[in-house]
Amino acid sequence: MQFQRGDKIEVYKKSVDEAWEPYMDDFIGLHGFITDPDTTINDPDSLIRVSLVGVGTHRLPQDALRLIGKP
Amino acid sequence: MAEKTCPVRKTVVYLSDQIDSGRLTDPKGRRISEQIMQLAEEIAEGAAGSDHLSAIDSLIKEYFYPKSPVQNQEIGVRLKGILDEHREVFISHIETKNCPSHDCGKLAPSPCQMACPAGIDIPTYLGLIAEGRDAEAIEVIRRDNPLPWVCGLICTRPCEMMCVRARIDTPVSIKFLKAFAAERAMSDRAYKNPEKKEANGKKICVVGAGPGGISAAYYLALMGYEVRVIESLPVPGGMMMVGIPRYRLPREVIDREVAMIEELGVTFSYNTVFGKDVTFEALKKEGYEAFFIAIGAHKAWDLGIKGEKEFPKVIEAVKFLKDVALGEHHVPGKQVVVIGGGNVAIDAARTSLRLGAEAVTIAYRRSRTQMPADIEEVEQAEEEGIEFSFLTIPKEIVGENDLITGLDCIKAELIQKQGSDRLAPVPILGKDFIIKADAVISAIGQYVDDEGMQVFDKMSWTRRGTIEVNHASMETTMPGVFAAGDAVSGPATVIEAIGGGKRAAESIDRYLSNIPQPRMPKIPIRHRTEAPFEMSASRKMTLKPAQMPMLSVDRRRTMFQQVELGYDEESVRREASRCLRCDICRRCGKCVEICRDKMGIDALKLGYMDFDDPSETDFRATSEKCILCGACAANCENKAIVIEEENGQRMLKLCGTILNKQEIQYCEECNAILPSAEYMQFISRKTGTAKKVTEKRLLCNNCQRKLGAKINVSTRPVNRI
Repeated sequence: MQFQRGDKIEVYKKSVDEAWEPYMDDFIGLHGFITDPDTTINDPDSLIRVSLVGVGTHRLPQDALRLIGKP
Repeated sequence: MAEKTCPVRKTVVYLSDQIDSGRLTDPKGRRISEQIMQLAEEIAEGAAGSDHLSAIDSLIKEYFYPKSPVQNQEIGVRLKGILDEHREVFISHIETKNCPSHDCGKLAPSPCQMACPAGIDIPTYLGLIAEGRDAEAIEVIRRDNPLPWVCGLICTRPCEMMCVRARIDTPVSIKFLKAFAAERAMSDRAYKNPEKKEANGKKICVVGAGPGGISAAYYLALMGYEVRVIESLPVPGGMMMVGIPRYRLPREVIDREVAMIEELGVTFSYNTVFGKDVTFEALKKEGYEAFFIAIGAHKAWDLGIKGEKEFPKVIEAVKFLKDVALGEHHVPGKQVVVIGGGNVAIDAARTSLRLGAEAVTIAYRRSRTQMPADIEEVEQAEEEGIEFSFLTIPKEIVGENDLITGLDCIKAELIQKQGSDRLAPVPILGKDFIIKADAVISAIGQYVDDEGMQVFDKMSWTRRGTIEVNHASMETTMPGVFAAGDAVSGPATVIEAIGGGKRAAESIDRYLSNIPQPRMPKIPIRHRTEAPFEMSASRKMTLKPAQMPMLSVDRRRTMFQQVELGYDEESVRREASRCLRCDICRRCGKCVEICRDKMGIDALKLGYMDFDDPSETDFRATSEKCILCGACAANCENKAIVIEEENGQRMLKLCGTILNKQEIQYCEECNAILPSAEYMQFISRKTGTAKKVTEKRLLCNNCQRKLGAKINVSTRPVNRI
């Protein structure tokens, strides 16, 4: 899988996925950690859970995230 | 790009600029601005009361008095805009003393709380557990999570992953502390429901008695709603009951916590299939005004390999675990192969072993490090004798006359495919092999069963086969219908479902009260701040992480008894007091900088404060260099590091940890309290004060000056005219 638990990430762009909601635009530029990379089958399409500094924990599409540090 | 400045802080800065600029020439406009700024500052500092916001609203209206100058009106419009857009953030500051963006320095939730999908106020309840106040700790937890005992045993604990203590040694064992407190409170009959609001006469239907449904039912019941939960299974708990084996989560734990929710008046209709035994139309006629769907994800994906549909002993893991949970304790086979790498695969394997399987192998197509299963679960499975076959792709289930003889597999290697940065398992030609088996359990994931849901005709589904919701409110595309849990996220975690259920309950209340829904999901809030637990620096550093006593491996291979036996009380209190209280210290590092760069002393060895590049931490090292000058404490916005004088001692404390302490000394002349000797020397070196009389005596500055002057007068020749 691309992301693993504890990876430090940045929400660097808006996702094209249908799961992207308007309020998530506020997250662009924020940093955080992957807390649940993929619940089942290492699917690059799955929504993964991230804890973002200042805004709490959310499930986001992977194409909006980029890795900025390993645990 | 995100607007990251807190709107409360933004209001203060904006008004301050307006007032300082001199543009506000109108005295009334200036007065209004100063008053609003004062109120906004109090909100930012966590000192505001419940009337602050309405007072600001009224003051903003005052800007628009007849013939009010244009600059007044401009400020009024600007402030009204900020308040309209960010009212929730203001309310959150007032009600919870919480500034999520950390701009209002004193008020920031801790990293563990921010990582929790239910937003539990972790430092507060750890502080309470450290002091033995278990029932109060449960009360704090249940403000965000009605199932603390369940989560204390099976949560995937993202909080521990973010625990700052891990930068010193290991994270605080938050999960098990919660379980201990819940068990103790339950045993003491001190596990109580909060007071619920008066019945409002409105009825809500919850479909599914899993963690999401239970959570929503609990919070709705507290708000005064009449809640009925429809459940197709004969038991409550959903996947907690039929997906998680009893050696991880005893049934009594679910039963006792569900009983607490029944005590609030929530009714559960078991063995009742929505759409069959009870219909949407009938429920609407009965007066149900809103529906909450939490049906989970119980359908298993097919393996898609040859032989899958030919042999009766090819079993879906979710069905197998459900049958066992409901009492059908039959061993699936002597040699069992489980296909998959998640927690469900591990649960199915460990359950097979307990039912009597002689050999159990987990076949997973990727490597160990890429398994989605919890590392502890994997290790415990290995201890029990489960074999793992990594980089193994199943090809075909082979056998004769309905009997399986093996699983034909091919070895894989992980290769980065063109255009992707992911490593994908690719079969290695010719590397075929067979794993001997007489039963194959597939555990490659689940999806949402939409049977009976067609009646919600305006409710949209995502391309992932989950219910589409607005995550801020958990409202579906059909008005009055809300959803959360695995039915929305796909197979996920219990704590996420609980958080979703709570959020949905709040939104259902707003929906039925005609209050607009929030724009984005609520940010975790702090409920209160407990005073930190006091202890010496040595003790804080040397508190060893608690070790979990485990059931013997023989019993684990044969019985469904709980594997993790829980900490004893002493370990619990000790473990809870390892918490660094990040709700008080937000680790800005200003104390370290002041001590090192401004004072030139460098006494604070607090490497854990550097988030990106933590260095060594040793609370004990402070006393070697610290002069108790108090510069660190004076510059700490949160009062996390303080100088305190009590019982004849002066102490420097960081969130209760005593970093340095000395006997207080007194002036020999006037009995005034003196700074530390090291600090007086430090000042003397800096100022070069005359010290003749002070070298052998303890004197305050005033007495030093007085006596110094006398000495000078008496020893120097007087010029005579």
